[in-house]
Parts: sequence; C-alpha cells; structure tokens
Amino acid sequence: MLRAKWWKVLSFVLLLYTCTYGFLVKVPKLDDRLQESIRNFFFHVPMWFGMMILFFVSLVYAVKFLRSGNLVHDVYSFAFASMGLVFGTLGIITGAVWANYQWGSPWVGDPKQNGAAIALLIYFAYFVLRGSLLDVEKRARLSAVYNIFSFFMLFPTLWILPRLTESLHPGGKGSEGNPGINGKDMSATMRTVFYPAVIGWTLLGVWISTIRIRIQLLQLKKDELL
Amino acid sequence: MYKLLNTATATTESFMVQNGKIYLVMTIVSIILIGLFIYVASVDKKLTQLEKK
Repeated sequence: MLRAKWWKVLSFVLLLYTCTYGFLVKVPKLDDRLQESIRNFFFHVPMWFGMMILFFVSLVYAVKFLRSGNLVHDVYSFAFASMGLVFGTLGIITGAVWANYQWGSPWVGDPKQNGAAIALLIYFAYFVLRGSLLDVEKRARLSAVYNIFSFFMLFPTLWILPRLTESLHPGGKGSEGNPGINGKDMSATMRTVFYPAVIGWTLLGVWISTIRIRIQLLQLKKDELL
Repeated sequence: MYKLLNTATATTESFMVQNGKIYLVMTIVSIILIGLFIYVASVDKKLTQLEKK
C-alpha cells in the first residue's frame, strides 16, 4: 500500500480536475456577497477535511502502538499527525486571507476560527512533547497517549462549540442544518467538485505522509532500532 | 503554416482573456499543481531506490 501507484495517480487526476473544473463550474450567486470567492470551498475547506482524516488515521496508529508496542506504528502515527498539521496550518492561513476580504479582517474572533486555532495549538504541543523526549520507547508511548487526548479535543473545539454560538462560518447557531453532516447545504454543481477535491487533497496528504514514513523507517533500520 | 500558427495563437489568446481572465488563473494553478506532483513523484522514486539498496 505504501508503494502502490494507483491512488497517487488518482490524487493527481482528482486535483487536476479540481484546479480546472473548480474554476469553470457554475456557482450559485445568492445575494452576491461571496461572488466567485465561494470557489474557495474547493481549496480551503478540503484542507480541514484532510486534516481531520489524517489526524484520525494518526489516532488509529497511536492506539495500535499502545496495544502492540511496535515502533513502526509510532512512525505512522507521527507522520500522519505532521501532515495533518500542515493541512491545518494551510487551512488557517487560507481562512485568514479569505476572511480579510469577506469579513473585513484576517482575524475576526469567529468561534470556529478561535476553535481551530486552539485545536492546532494542542497539536503543536504534540510536537513539543516529542521533541523533548530522547528515549525512543518513552517518546512513542507518551506521545501516543497525548495524541489520543489531542484528537478528542477536536470534538469541542471544532465540532461542538462553534455550532452552539452564532458564527460567520456555516452551521453556527441560528443557521439551519449542519453543513458538516448535511451536504445538501451546498449546490449540486458545487458538490461535483467539492467531494473529488476532498478526496484528492487527502490522498496527496497521505502520499506525503507515506514518504515521511518510509524515510523514518529507513532511519530506524540504520540505527538498528527495528 | 504560418497563418495556421497565427490563428492558433489568436484563438488561445482570446480564450485566455475571456471571463475576466479566469482561464489564465486556471492555467497557472494547473501548472503549479503539475510541478508539485512531479516533484513529489521524484522524491518518491529516489526513496524507492534507497530502499532497494
């Protein structure tokens, strides 16, 4: 699976489709406040979807490590968490740029913006924790436990609290439905680009993660830890 | 032949400047994407060679 080719090609095809048809597809006008910037849905939003998926995979490998004690699982867990954080950072930067033109300021203290920043900071601490431990076994064990904690902090920070208050993001209090689950809030034509975009960006993240994993495994073999 | 080339450029040019030059942005984003994938693929390939050693 690490070296299989088909899903890397699929990622390329889907992203090429996103980056071409994403500009051509007809988007709803509504009251024209968003204008063409609604196309950011094909780029900004998949960063967050990708982040959540990669963090979830990282969590699975953290649990696997705690059950098995196999260092390979720690390598997987770390690589997916790193790439997830790259996506999250890109998501928050692209969000700030969009907010600057849409809401008037890069940081407006929107509950989802704040929640996302807290979630990212919690994950940053994961890397601080790893960096401060020299013993490989101890580092793997402690960071796996912390990884589980940081994943479950996504529930309040991203999925619950921003939806309980009024938010500039979709899905806050007072707006109908839950766009995180109810995809019908998006027009059918936009969905034909949005879902392929999510899959494409996520697969690219997985690809880069596997490269990281393979480098780390080579390193471990060289240090005779495997 | 020259005339043919000329019309070809003319049509591409008129295509690129349609709709507020959105196709130009589309082309540039696609080039970046292709370049990025070529780079990641080459890193992948180098890594495979290292693993075979």
